[in-house]
Amino acid sequence: MTARREVLQLALGGAALLAGCSSRRAEKRTDRIRLWVAPNEAEEGFWKIAVARWNGQGRGLPVSFTTIPTAGASEDTVLSALVAGTEPDLSTNIFSGFAVQLAALGQVENLAAMPGYAELVARRDMGAIVPGWTQSGQVCALPIYSSPTLLWWRTDLLEKHGFSAPPRTYDEVYAFCERYGVARSRYGMQVISGRGWADRWFDFISFYYAASNGAPYLEGGHALYDNAAGLQAAGFIDRMFRRGWTALDFDAEEPLVSGLAAGAVRGPWDVERFAKIYPETLARIAAGPIVSQTAGQGAGATFSDSKGVVIFKSSRVAREAFEFLSWVLGEEELNLLWLQRTGLSPARGDLLENPRFADYYRGNQIAQAYAEHVASAKPPALSEHTIDIQKIMTAKLVEPLMTGQRTPREALAEAAAATDQMLRVRA
Amino acid sequence: MKRPRLSREAWIGLSLASTYLVFTAIFWAYPFFWLAKLSVTQWRFFDDPVFTGTRNLVLTVQDPQFLQALWNVLRFLAMYVPIAFGGALVVAFGLQHVGRGKAFVALCFLLSNVSSGVALSLVFTKIFSSTGPLNAVLFDLLGIRIPWTNHPTLAMLAIALVVAWKFVGYYGLILYSGLLTVPKEIYDAARLDRAGPLTRLVRITLPMINPQLMMVLVFAILVSFGLFTEPFLITGGGPADSTATPQMMIYETAFRRLQPSHAAMMSILVSAATYLLVLVARRLFERKVVLA
Repeated sequence: MTARREVLQLALGGAALLAGCSSRRAEKRTDRIRLWVAPNEAEEGFWKIAVARWNGQGRGLPVSFTTIPTAGASEDTVLSALVAGTEPDLSTNIFSGFAVQLAALGQVENLAAMPGYAELVARRDMGAIVPGWTQSGQVCALPIYSSPTLLWWRTDLLEKHGFSAPPRTYDEVYAFCERYGVARSRYGMQVISGRGWADRWFDFISFYYAASNGAPYLEGGHALYDNAAGLQAAGFIDRMFRRGWTALDFDAEEPLVSGLAAGAVRGPWDVERFAKIYPETLARIAAGPIVSQTAGQGAGATFSDSKGVVIFKSSRVAREAFEFLSWVLGEEELNLLWLQRTGLSPARGDLLENPRFADYYRGNQIAQAYAEHVASAKPPALSEHTIDIQKIMTAKLVEPLMTGQRTPREALAEAAAATDQMLRVRA
Repeated sequence: MKRPRLSREAWIGLSLASTYLVFTAIFWAYPFFWLAKLSVTQWRFFDDPVFTGTRNLVLTVQDPQFLQALWNVLRFLAMYVPIAFGGALVVAFGLQHVGRGKAFVALCFLLSNVSSGVALSLVFTKIFSSTGPLNAVLFDLLGIRIPWTNHPTLAMLAIALVVAWKFVGYYGLILYSGLLTVPKEIYDAARLDRAGPLTRLVRITLPMINPQLMMVLVFAILVSFGLFTEPFLITGGGPADSTATPQMMIYETAFRRLQPSHAAMMSILVSAATYLLVLVARRLFERKVVLA
């Protein structure tokens, strides 16, 4: 009899344990706005101050924030949280393609429908930026910062070879490479940025945007990059490889530091990295535009690696969360604080005209070069199939050009056809 | 008819066994049935699964990338098995000749096996880079640079070398344990019959350690189908998908493309292919070793 009771107790204990382990969507709190921010020291520092000010001034529902609890990609963590029902009300660090995926899954609010949206866009001077984040009139994420890609050049190496300023056209790059390159041991510039799907943003798409003056490479489920601009960009990549002016990869070292290459596409986040690790090299860097066939007037178009903020559909305080968002993004003082803390240009179109930001840029030439391009920098195509598109560009376009298996025209045609085919199947 | 009462021992036994049964039900049976259900439905994490029958199966077997990934496993095996077996045999025979500190040497061989795959991949990415130290030496000596990670065949070879480096010590210890079981008298008899070293290796040693060789072969097949970290970090699956593996596809399909149902079907097919290949390998190479 005793034994039976013990077994029963064991069974009940086990059941209680299991009940505790079972998945249950967490209760959504309505007494505060919960925010996730990018897991890095600089951004965390900014949000700490901004949230403290909001809470201190009693402007609305209190905000509490944590960094995105991730060891790898933020996207994976956000997705896991959504599945488990532990997502916050707002999350930053969302790239546009992932925001579109979340919208397709019905997980994020359309921010364009929020009261005060138009005022926020006007107040933050985002008129030129928001179209890149709008799909069918919906805005599923608002960009916090815009990080254009630009070409970094070692000024000392340029000067030594007769160049007083960074090259702006393909011909100038070729001319420099002729003088600087040494067969198989020293290269004019790094053209291919890496192997991952997102790396294509920093080579082909950057060059495509520069050549096309920011024309989209995808629209309405069709690839558009098999055109004159695509041919220019692909032709440039092809020629750099065929003439041995760039290497297949630069995985072994930072080429700008050793001078293995004199130029490379870099984003503004690299300023902080170089300042910490290679300050001497950073002092010799000039940021020039992404090169194209002909140098245009003003800031040329380039790729923008921007990250935005979303409000989750599950939030019971979505309106209040948007009020907080409007305040943070709309306050010039906070935008300046963001710039000072992170070095990343706020996604606004008046960075160089607005006297509020002038001092910061006056003393920082590289930052100024990035700021000049914020308005003309374009995000990746808004597609939930971003990864597939990028992988096709790698396998059918960039790699055949690297290895010389295809001519630029053939590679472009194959990549565009494969993209169209993939989009047709996925549809 | 009265049912017999369970004894106290039977109850204790049942309760102890139930721990295992409950554990199995939660962590094996439930995920297994969920996987099976997922593979025949359409589900995108947040909606309810909708039964779609064989749609995922058809999509998967018609997916050229998935078929390429399976083919890549066979290509990997073709390079990995000879390198891993060769290296493991060298380790095993080498260990036989180590006098003092045998345990220390054996442990050293295991270091690569317990090292982080991520760290290894990062180190080898730099070593194999087209502008890296290996190519710098080759360029200085021979005036050539080899595109280790940028040529479809060489990229797979580079990955096979990295994975072999990780597992050779482990496999070597398994083979070494087999060598210890071979009676010395057989070698003495062979020497009396004037059998040379190669004959002794092929006719005595390898047949006698067949169980250990089979174990290593099965492990190699499992490693091949489970390959993820090295190609993911060293080549990213390129160039032109030549080093993409089924595990990479499953991960990307489930968590990047947000198609867990499709990924579930892929994982079932990969498991089936693994099982099939192990079965074929055992049929072809397994021999019973009997010491009379």
